[in-house]
Amino acid sequence: MEAGYMAEPVCDAVTLDVLLGALRATQGEMEALIERTAMSPFIREKKDFFVALFDPDGDLIVGAYRPSAGDPVRPIFGHYPRQTMRPGDLYWYNDCYGSLGSVSHSPDQVFLAPVFSNDQLLGFAQSWAHFADIGGMRPGSISPDCVDIFQEGIIVPPVRLAREGEVNEELLRTFFRNSRFPELIKGDTRACLAALRLGERRIIELAERFRAEVVADGFRQLTARSERAAKARLRAIIPTGRYHFTDEIEQDGQGNGPFRIAMELRVDEDKVVLDLTGSDDQAPGPINYLLNPAVPRAMLGMYLLAGDPTLPLNTGAGRAIDEVILRDGSLLQPRWPAPLGQRGLTMMRLISATMGLVNAAGGESTAANCPYVIYFARGLDPDGIPFLLTDGVGVGYGARPFADGIDAVYYIAQENYPVELMEHTFPVRLRSYGINRDSGGPGRWRGGCGVVREIEILAETATIAIRIDGASSPAWGVGGGINGGSGRAIVNPGRPDERELDPLSDGNELRRGDLLRLETGGGGGWGHPFDRETEKVLADVRGGFVSRAVAEEHYGVLLTGDGLAVDEAATQNFRAGNRPVVDGLFHRHGYRDQLT
Amino acid sequence: MNAPTDATKMRYAVAVDTGGTFTDVSLFDRQTGRNWTAKAPSTPDDPSMGFMDGIGLALEQAELTPGDLAQVFHGTTVATNLILEGKGAKVALVTTAGFKHVLEIGRQDIPRKVNLFAWVKPKRPVPPEQVFEVPERLDRDGTVLQALDEQAVRETARELRAQGIQAVAVCFLHSFTEPKHERRARAIILEEHPDALVSLSSEVLRVFREYERSMATALNVYVMQAVTQYVANLQQRLADTGTAAPLLIMKSNGGVVSAPEVQRVPAHTALSGPAAGVVGARFVGGAAGYEDVIGIDIGGTSADICLVKDGQYTVSGNGRVGEWPLSFPMLDIHTVGTGGGSIARVTKDGALTVGPASAGAVPGPACYGRGGGEATVTDAHLLLGHIPPYLLGGGMQLDVEAAKHAMAEHVAQPLGLEVEAAARGVIAISNNDMVGAIRVISIERGHDPRDFALVAFGGAGPLHGVALAELLGARTVIIPPHPGVLSALGLLVSQLRTDYARTCLQAPPDYNVAQIAATFGELEAEAEAWFERENVPPSARKLSRFASLRYRHQGFELRLPWAGEIVDGGSVDATLEAFHLLHEQLYTFAQRDTPVEIVTLHMVAEGHFDQIEPAEWPSGGSLSDAVMDHLPVSLAGGRQEVPVYDRMKLAAGTHFSGPGLVVQLDSTALIPEGHQVSCDRFGNMIVAIGDKD
Repeated sequence: MEAGYMAEPVCDAVTLDVLLGALRATQGEMEALIERTAMSPFIREKKDFFVALFDPDGDLIVGAYRPSAGDPVRPIFGHYPRQTMRPGDLYWYNDCYGSLGSVSHSPDQVFLAPVFSNDQLLGFAQSWAHFADIGGMRPGSISPDCVDIFQEGIIVPPVRLAREGEVNEELLRTFFRNSRFPELIKGDTRACLAALRLGERRIIELAERFRAEVVADGFRQLTARSERAAKARLRAIIPTGRYHFTDEIEQDGQGNGPFRIAMELRVDEDKVVLDLTGSDDQAPGPINYLLNPAVPRAMLGMYLLAGDPTLPLNTGAGRAIDEVILRDGSLLQPRWPAPLGQRGLTMMRLISATMGLVNAAGGESTAANCPYVIYFARGLDPDGIPFLLTDGVGVGYGARPFADGIDAVYYIAQENYPVELMEHTFPVRLRSYGINRDSGGPGRWRGGCGVVREIEILAETATIAIRIDGASSPAWGVGGGINGGSGRAIVNPGRPDERELDPLSDGNELRRGDLLRLETGGGGGWGHPFDRETEKVLADVRGGFVSRAVAEEHYGVLLTGDGLAVDEAATQNFRAGNRPVVDGLFHRHGYRDQLT
Repeated sequence: MNAPTDATKMRYAVAVDTGGTFTDVSLFDRQTGRNWTAKAPSTPDDPSMGFMDGIGLALEQAELTPGDLAQVFHGTTVATNLILEGKGAKVALVTTAGFKHVLEIGRQDIPRKVNLFAWVKPKRPVPPEQVFEVPERLDRDGTVLQALDEQAVRETARELRAQGIQAVAVCFLHSFTEPKHERRARAIILEEHPDALVSLSSEVLRVFREYERSMATALNVYVMQAVTQYVANLQQRLADTGTAAPLLIMKSNGGVVSAPEVQRVPAHTALSGPAAGVVGARFVGGAAGYEDVIGIDIGGTSADICLVKDGQYTVSGNGRVGEWPLSFPMLDIHTVGTGGGSIARVTKDGALTVGPASAGAVPGPACYGRGGGEATVTDAHLLLGHIPPYLLGGGMQLDVEAAKHAMAEHVAQPLGLEVEAAARGVIAISNNDMVGAIRVISIERGHDPRDFALVAFGGAGPLHGVALAELLGARTVIIPPHPGVLSALGLLVSQLRTDYARTCLQAPPDYNVAQIAATFGELEAEAEAWFERENVPPSARKLSRFASLRYRHQGFELRLPWAGEIVDGGSVDATLEAFHLLHEQLYTFAQRDTPVEIVTLHMVAEGHFDQIEPAEWPSGGSLSDAVMDHLPVSLAGGRQEVPVYDRMKLAAGTHFSGPGLVVQLDSTALIPEGHQVSCDRFGNMIVAIGDKD
């Protein structure tokens, strides 16, 4: 629906930008509070949390820039109609099916505070964080072995956590009792709730400063502005027509697969439809992604708004797509109570597939990202105290028409554990941590490189769960760019007992002195690698991102004997006579127009 | 060379604040309280020239010679600019084998407020081919797991010498616990490569998190040669004039140290310039009777915001300079890229933005008539009549037509507004950005800005101060007598200061009081040794203890004063209690059911100069004498004629009501209607903010 104004807007153009600045400052304040007070390393150090502000209808206005937020406010309304809400109330859930995929695995907790000014509902403040353990089958709650969602921890349906400021402590005690690490999640809960109160206060102050109706109108305009921009960009880069892109996920961790994600984009004169019904049936294992329609909308919206940092990624940006069609019982719309815990890899594949769709439609978009890698290690530390290490490991992102892909990155805004923190907090020692050479897909712009991380176990025993995607179907390149490298996990490399772990598995038992070596994959390349400037290739070789062999084989760049300079004459000569022919839009183990 | 504090008995002190456009100088007579100010154009290619020119101008006014000077205080942006512009030395980083890409990987995150499709990872100050791995390894408690491979260090040093790389940073894992491998590495590097400048992470920033520590060490040596050379130049030029006055340089922590201390850890000057402004704001506020102030220093390209509570400024260990974390003790200064020269633009989706692009001094705002075609904040002020169409005492005429044209083309037409409405919009956006920055250093730190007086300074501060107070609900704005040179005044009134810190992890229930006392003892010994080097007499020495605490499992500590003069069980309990209270104040909740850990102990060492008394401002004379003009000004209620006052003729004890403009050589103050101004005996204008309704 086009948001236009017949009447003079209540919030003028300048006030609108003032309001946007103030909302972003509020977001920053709420984030700082959580970061400084949360207790689990997963939140305070890795920063797996997000905050956002919503209008009274539940439309996202301003929040963290991420393409995986669903539609998190409206699930509350079904249980607690807006007219029954009061100032000081707090609402909470982690119920994936009960929120239609607004959260998509149970460890993510959503906390919401309605914000009132003089009894008028102005909107909602939200904090959202991944809690380290909420019970379930194994420490860390989500495991590739889970066969239903009950094994993935306690489920909290949308509930009222506080009524007019009075917190329901019984509810929290019940929740904490279900965690293996109650002290951590107690601190994390307090941090999330304090952030809500802060956001609430800020919105009320804005209403006092500008009047409630100006703020409300400003919210409407902020979504309308992003909507207008996203729609205009979509029309500018994609002509009317039907476009397809299909990729596949290798396995579900339980011996099944592959599973296809099939996307069709139908761009008509008056309507844009994203049809995902061609995707495969749901998996027995936990790679199912219960997709809220807002998610693929945000994925495309984020791409469409990339050129202008003044536009917030909000519900308006998602309206470039008019309709999302999903099929019950499919990988992207599984039926209760299918397990969901490893949906991260499906989400990352879906982001890349959305870019594939844009490429297929003729828009010059990015190459594929490698899905991020995570592993869990659990056991007893040398003092006999249970530990849970949940370590997110960076990968490489896809190259772009204007820049290399990002090296060593984990989703967005999520930090690594410093080596010194790892060794102070967990019974492990890091043997190395560096760039995984040659993992970035060669191209005019190089795909980002993944990393190598070697972890020695100092506990008597540790049970490892691991998630590495793309072992046999690495991140695709585009426009002449080559696919990125694959990830893998090896135990005790170079020793007689060396073994490779199943990339999506749990129950891997390691003992004291064992070394877990993770090599993560890179992003796909963009454009023909023979078109990359030779000095960039040289810098990559000297910096340890590209080997000499790959510089020659894929980039056609020959270095001098000492490897410190480009042999320009030999390179020119070689590039002129040996340029590979590009006979497909995408690249995965060879150029091709279809990946599956 | 005279010892600095012995020289406090001598009469004249001079302070030089080198900014991007101007070098401000303030010369002070300790005996009479009289002070002279001067401004010279900055000379970015060799800042020591502007430095000497400025001192020369001030001495000329005072009819003094360099030999009369007792101290020379200085705030510099040499280190800052090298880092921000990426123009430092070619640096090698020596690191533990296996961790070559520590800088490249960083914290592996994409910043929270950017779009992942658009973000490009910034280029590191040290490229990976200049990172050298050396076999060695310490355990987390400092135990040697693998001895330092001395031969590998030796070969690396030879390689660096062969490549002509002199600047060398050394950062090994866990060296903050045990520095011996780093120290041995330095000795070997210097044996093989005597010209090398070596920085050890255990000396530069002895705290955990290897990426942040490596970056701080690399940046330190990145600026070392240039800063060292610069300081040596200044000393030479001063010596050439025949002065024996010591050169004292402002650090990011708000204190000054002598030149050799700066040359040891030059990265400590990363916020040297803005820090001087903080000290000045505190001084002016204190003299006017306000212990709680927020300083707003608005220059041409940015606004630096700071907070002073109970007469104390906040020192933070979580600063950033440009893209890089720099976790030194730094005054908590928040900078926003909005100043007088900031350019206003309308995006193609209709959003109005102001800054961070700036027209700078050249070409400058459109109204300067030097070829600047874009609309700036200064142009907006001119169009609204906030500044008279002449600058610097009538010396320079401003081009109103050029400003109008720029505002019409770049703001008004794209937004479909009248030019005047567009100009108001530009001011509103820039004020909003500054309010956001003020919130960061006040509200985010648990302070209510309404409880603070705003000290508005820098050339453009007095134009925005009252509007910012209105937006924040603050009740008072202080406009110092010379807003443009307050940073130089801050230098004059600064103290010698160095911060010492050591990690001393204490977890309940067994707080080891003896170990805490011993650690404080070590810090005290270091501080006393520094006092000796700086020749601070015992009577002028001051030591203050601080501790950083957190709840178990938290990753962020709060720093607070150690509660008590001695270290015993009682003072531990009192410090813990103060922590609970501070946590509640900052974050709305305390967690008394959760164990508290003591993480880091700090010692702040200060050497006090005799305090300078602010000069008395002339009294007598009537308000009507000060009125020099009437000009039309666009205010909330529309355009109206308002009186223009000559600041130099506003006598102490004068009162007047807004609206009005107050002009002086280095600044113009805008006082909208509804606010009362009184001039105090030091020449400060104290603006009492009226109620909105």
